Amino acid sequence: MGSDPGRRRALGLLVSGGSSLLLGGCGLNRWSTAVGAATQPLNERIEALLQGQGPVPEFRPSQVEPAALLVNSFNGTPNLAPESYRLVVNGAVRRPLRLDLAALAALPQRECVIRHVCVEGWAAIVAWSGPRLADVLALAGPSPLGAYLAIRSADQYFETWDLASALHPQTLLATHMNGAPLPVANGAPVRLASPIKLGYKQSKWVTGLELMTSLGDRLGTWEDRGYEWFAGL
Amino acid sequence: MRQPVITLSDASGPARPGPHPLWTRAFHGFNLLVLLLMAGSGLEIYNANPVFGGRAGATVPGWLTLGGWLAGGRDWHFGVMGLYAANLGLWIGLLLHRRHRRLADGGDLGTLRRSASPPRRRLASHRVTYTLMLVVLAFSLLSGLAMYKPAQLWWLVSLFAFAEPAGHSSWQTLRVCHLATIPAIALLLVAHVGLSWRVGGLRLLRRMVL
Repeated sequence: MGSDPGRRRALGLLVSGGSSLLLGGCGLNRWSTAVGAATQPLNERIEALLQGQGPVPEFRPSQVEPAALLVNSFNGTPNLAPESYRLVVNGAVRRPLRLDLAALAALPQRECVIRHVCVEGWAAIVAWSGPRLADVLALAGPSPLGAYLAIRSADQYFETWDLASALHPQTLLATHMNGAPLPVANGAPVRLASPIKLGYKQSKWVTGLELMTSLGDRLGTWEDRGYEWFAGL
Repeated sequence: MRQPVITLSDASGPARPGPHPLWTRAFHGFNLLVLLLMAGSGLEIYNANPVFGGRAGATVPGWLTLGGWLAGGRDWHFGVMGLYAANLGLWIGLLLHRRHRRLADGGDLGTLRRSASPPRRRLASHRVTYTLMLVVLAFSLLSGLAMYKPAQLWWLVSLFAFAEPAGHSSWQTLRVCHLATIPAIALLLVAHVGLSWRVGGLRLLRRMVL
């Protein structure tokens, strides 16, 4: 049985596959994107199915871990003057908006104490507060054809979300963090915060929301470089 | 106490082992390949933010990693996890259903405590070894799922809160536990291969995989 040439070839392949893996994986690293492309559609479908619409259990405010929240920035730290700040809401909406911070503060405020999980592997429990993203979108009169949301940031960071995740009751446009106004490094004056997406989906320094009926060529700053698009938790 | 079945080869050194069923060989070969891919890509993900020391922590040498960068490592890790889970689930299911007498039980621990016969002790320790391997593999899957979907599987993450009184968050404990499955399975693998070698040498090892 062991002399079967087909099996021997398979054993050889297995051993050479294993050793090239140990020698840096040079041969296999080329296939990373193909493996992702082949498996992500099914994974994303399962993720979306798991996610549902229900709320995620929250932590107690005493459980926040301010020191554990690391800062990542794609392109420096933009300083936005609060008085001239405007949030543009446009796309497939009946009433395009330009909202200032007072308009956002006038909406019902919600606090979510959630685990912020970074794609790098670390996580921190953070208390975010601000209006729900769903409430802001509702002000603009969204078209029933809207299916995706594009999010633009002052530092040119770009994101797209599926609308169901954007309308999740715990997805916020946060203006406060751990009970204090949002620090500049964490995205002041307005950032996304949600318990159901990885950190890189949660844009900081948000200046524009565009409701879209389909996804365009750009999926997001990191997604276009190879990260998963759905990135659900 | 139930007597473990002792084959001729246990009593008289290397002998011709009988062929293993096709599904045992298929699961072995496939599991070995998938485990290497999962470990390599897992260490690539580790390097994005070392579990020990965070951004200041030491990283794993590149020749042990798979994927080239974080997104590549994640492509492999989450691409292969379904195959890994399906293989492991089917394997454990079939073992429990058809060959449960080959899995370790209390009798093997009794043998290890009481028996003076080396072959009998060897067989008992081997049964304990490969049964533990299945437990560790299943644990790596569960701890990985907890990290992959912490919002949906929050109750799974909360099982790792046991070190919170000592100041370690459940997330950090989860990361350490998930990582620890690599050295655990490596140690068990060495014992498994060593004990198999004593029974049937290279021929047996080859027949286990192919």
